[in-house]
Amino acid sequence: MEKPTPLEMEKIHWIIITSDNADQVFAKMKEDGMDPVLFGLTDNDFQLLAKNFARIRNQLMITNDMLDKYKEYYEASDNETGNNTKNSK
Amino acid sequence: MLGIRLFLIGIVSASLIGAGAYVFKLRADNAILKANAVKMESAITEQKELITKQKEDFQEILAANAEMNKLVKNLEKDLNELDKRFNKNNRDIGKLAVEKTKLIEKIINKGGENAARCIEIASGSPLTEKEKNATKKSEINPECPSIANPNYITY
Repeated sequence: MEKPTPLEMEKIHWIIITSDNADQVFAKMKEDGMDPVLFGLTDNDFQLLAKNFARIRNQLMITNDMLDKYKEYYEASDNETGNNTKNSK
Repeated sequence: MLGIRLFLIGIVSASLIGAGAYVFKLRADNAILKANAVKMESAITEQKELITKQKEDFQEILAANAEMNKLVKNLEKDLNELDKRFNKNNRDIGKLAVEKTKLIEKIINKGGENAARCIEIASGSPLTEKEKNATKKSEINPECPSIANPNYITY
């Protein structure tokens, strides 16, 4: 069984906007031809997002590792003997 | 007299035939017993093989569980490190972002890139040579060194 194709993540650019630089940020966005709109997070929510991301990553890693171990268990004998008998119980 | 002779001959003949039939039956029973013994031996051998296999499987499962627990601990450590980076020495990331906006923006973007790479690795992407050979703190992916930099040892 083939393993799922690894993900290729898109690059995301974070912009920090404060009360001091807001005008500058929007002006720069207009200048660069972007819609002058930002989807915001507070600093606390940013931390939560980072932690959620890390938790998803950990879960993905565990699931993937488990898949490797099952593959090793069920398919190791196939490579050795060319059949599917050893661990097919 | 003839009747008695015939009677005796009949008895002897019947005895011989009976004895012969009994011997044949014994032989047949013996053959069945031998066949059963062979089957039993074969079954015992199979059972022994199965028990050995089960023991091996059990050891493999224990080893796999131990590895899995190690992985979970390391991942948990990475998560705690992330928490520390945000809150070390009562650090307030919001306040820092107000004071040093460009610097923090740069750090956040680098962190985002590293975190995205961690997801790729977790989904099965092979490690690059640079990631494999990273041993210094400046060379590692600080978001997930336990999976991205196998040769990095935390002190």
